[in-house]
Amino acid sequence: MASIEKQIIWIHGDNLNPNSPAIQAAPSAPAVFVWDDAYLEKADISFKRILFIYESLLELPVTILRGQVDHEVANFAKAHNAQSILTTPSPSAGFTRYSQRLREQGFDIQIFEEDPFVIIPNTYHKRFSRYWKVAQKALVKDSAS
Amino acid sequence: MSQPMRRDFENRDDLITYLQEQFPASVAVSPHITDTKGGRQAAEQRLAEIDPEKYETSRNYLNGKVTLLSPYIRHGILSLAEVRDKAQRHSPVNKLVQELGWRDFFQRIYAEIKTAVWQDQEPYKTGFATDDYQDTLPEDIKQGQTGHSSIDSFIHELKTTGYLHNHARMWLAGYVVHWRRVKWQAGAHWFLQHLLDGDPASNNLSWQWVASTFSHKPYFFNRDNIERFSGQTCCDDASINGRCEFEGSYAQLEKQLFPHKPPQQQNQPRPKKRKRRKRWHQ
Repeated sequence: MASIEKQIIWIHGDNLNPNSPAIQAAPSAPAVFVWDDAYLEKADISFKRILFIYESLLELPVTILRGQVDHEVANFAKAHNAQSILTTPSPSAGFTRYSQRLREQGFDIQIFEEDPFVIIPNTYHKRFSRYWKVAQKALVKDSAS
Repeated sequence: MSQPMRRDFENRDDLITYLQEQFPASVAVSPHITDTKGGRQAAEQRLAEIDPEKYETSRNYLNGKVTLLSPYIRHGILSLAEVRDKAQRHSPVNKLVQELGWRDFFQRIYAEIKTAVWQDQEPYKTGFATDDYQDTLPEDIKQGQTGHSSIDSFIHELKTTGYLHNHARMWLAGYVVHWRRVKWQAGAHWFLQHLLDGDPASNNLSWQWVASTFSHKPYFFNRDNIERFSGQTCCDDASINGRCEFEGSYAQLEKQLFPHKPPQQQNQPRPKKRKRRKRWHQ
């Protein structure tokens, strides 16, 4: 009998939505959020930001840890015998770095995207006016369809 | 695996006490507690209250009908697409949809440049070089004791609530970079410490837009502009050398703030329809 692949969900600060596509993909999978101690030390964020994020986390079915993010996520996955880590995208360098380290440890990172704001070619526009010229045409077209 | 943090709290005060113990360094940065609640439930409530039509006509005023959704969008509690759908009720493209577009635009750039979001994207167009700007935020700015009543009230709001209206962000950033000649990075770091919607993409690139390292020209303002849109007296006690530092026409202030700016980069009178938009882009 084929074994069911075990998965965990990695929640991060760029997507604290209880309906995120990663959670919807595996609603019963255990989920983890890790407070990044190295980031906290560097960024020096004030208490109100911690409170806002923590309050948001309390509406999610998530285990809250703190420490080194890739280390804690890996240990959480191992504790649940999971090889697959489901998450959502983030443009941050930290997310890219931690994802890479987890892949190097043999984990399968599966990234689930939200519906995009607008579907346009991923061309680098240095000025908003150029981006907007393309984006608004797509928005008008999409809303009509 | 480290020990899981607590999830069971009797009430918000219980949660606050626990977090104060767990994150003492953040309390040392600033101990203020905001009334803005985190979470999807609070986000949905605010989303239900948005009014794209009133937003369009009033958003530049500090008492305008802004959405206050930015902390929820920043942390992905609301997706841009679902806010867009709500904002498009009466028209596919309007000012609110365009502001969401600014966030999408900045996110795309951030994904491309990553940590370089902390570096000048272009030279300053102020007649000054990067080294002419100081590295750190002066203490009177951190403490909200600059002597300008409006600027000090914005600083107080930033620190106590974690939110600032778009226009107030622009005035404060313009003051820090152009009047005090502080590197935009110092201001950007300071905002990220306090803003509930603090995000390196929108925040840093907006500071760069004000500074002129990510735009064609520096953003600055005058007393009339602050008083018109804020409804506040800008320099009631005011003053440095007996006059409000923000007093004057744009041409006068430009000469005063950017004395070394090449003449070809000086602002020219613009047709009304090309007037520069007022925005910070959370």
